[in-house]
Amino acid sequence: MVLVVVLMVVAGVINHRKRQAAMQQSQVELLKTKNGSDAASSTLASLGAPAPDADLRGKTAPAFTLVDLAGKKVSLADFKGKPVVIDFWATYCAPCKLEMPWFEEFTAKYKDKGLVVLGVDQDDVVGKDAVAAAAKRIGVTYPILMPDKTISSTYKLGDYLPQTFFVDKNGTVVEEVIGGRPKDEIEADVKKIAE
Amino acid sequence: MRQRLGIVFGAVVLAAMPIAGSVTRAQDIQMQDAAAVKKQHLVMLTDGVDVKAGIEQTVELRFRVDPGYHINSHKPMDDLLIPTTLKFVPGMVKVGGTEYPQGSVIKLTGSGEGLDVYQGEFKVRMTLVAPRGFSTMTGTVRYQACDSASCFPPRTLAVKLAVTAK
Repeated sequence: MVLVVVLMVVAGVINHRKRQAAMQQSQVELLKTKNGSDAASSTLASLGAPAPDADLRGKTAPAFTLVDLAGKKVSLADFKGKPVVIDFWATYCAPCKLEMPWFEEFTAKYKDKGLVVLGVDQDDVVGKDAVAAAAKRIGVTYPILMPDKTISSTYKLGDYLPQTFFVDKNGTVVEEVIGGRPKDEIEADVKKIAE
Repeated sequence: MRQRLGIVFGAVVLAAMPIAGSVTRAQDIQMQDAAAVKKQHLVMLTDGVDVKAGIEQTVELRFRVDPGYHINSHKPMDDLLIPTTLKFVPGMVKVGGTEYPQGSVIKLTGSGEGLDVYQGEFKVRMTLVAPRGFSTMTGTVRYQACDSASCFPPRTLAVKLAVTAK
């Protein structure tokens, strides 16, 4: 029993150090800046999987009906039988905006697989017009949905964005990811639900 | 300290579980601990300044962003991003101008656009005129923090500054 406890502690410490190292990675690569001051190339290193009590993987994606930027009601049930990516984002979130053009690209690339991407806005300080302007500037044409009062708790969102759910044709959450990631990692999860 | 507690807590709970998969569980519990904490990611290090009474002068206020995080500078490159803004409630001490430092530029991998941010310590200069004696200024810092992969909602940090004017 003592050995098990020791192993647990060691595992925890190793994990903690790895995460700290990943966090500090963003400050390693120095670049020339407009001011000549130090700048960093920030590496996407997602927070990874959700906490156990917030983990929807393997469960049916919670149903929702939200309103898109045109005021039209959009339900998850509308896409029954199709693979769906549900991406929670906000206009202030740079990693979110980095990923969104990739999702746009994947909707075209996996169109024959029926892939649907839904962007669910999480802004609370800007209105629909600003969100629409941001979506246009980012260059996405997939549905952007405005949140209601329950969607955050329904999907057990944490205090950070982006959060992305990959839902297969049967409506099951196959992957749930916190934080931005490289394009190839995102596409790997798209393939899990689209192929 | 919280993370240490998280590790110890994870170890105690997991001691009753089979060893297979124990590392994953430890990570999950740590993540739960981190998720439960809504950190500010920013602190004002200056809690008081000494000035000459009745004369306009400049003071420096020091702030620190938690390691591994950044906040937008006062002039982010993208108008969708939330600038760091310091405001004091009008009172006995009259605030003149506020001068923010230039940020440093970071780029997310895969992105051509930079982000103008504050990392680590930075100083905001503020001109003020204070009456003789001791005054307490109260105010707020509006900011929005991110780490290398995720962003946190905009936050407001309440600040207090003790001003001693002689």
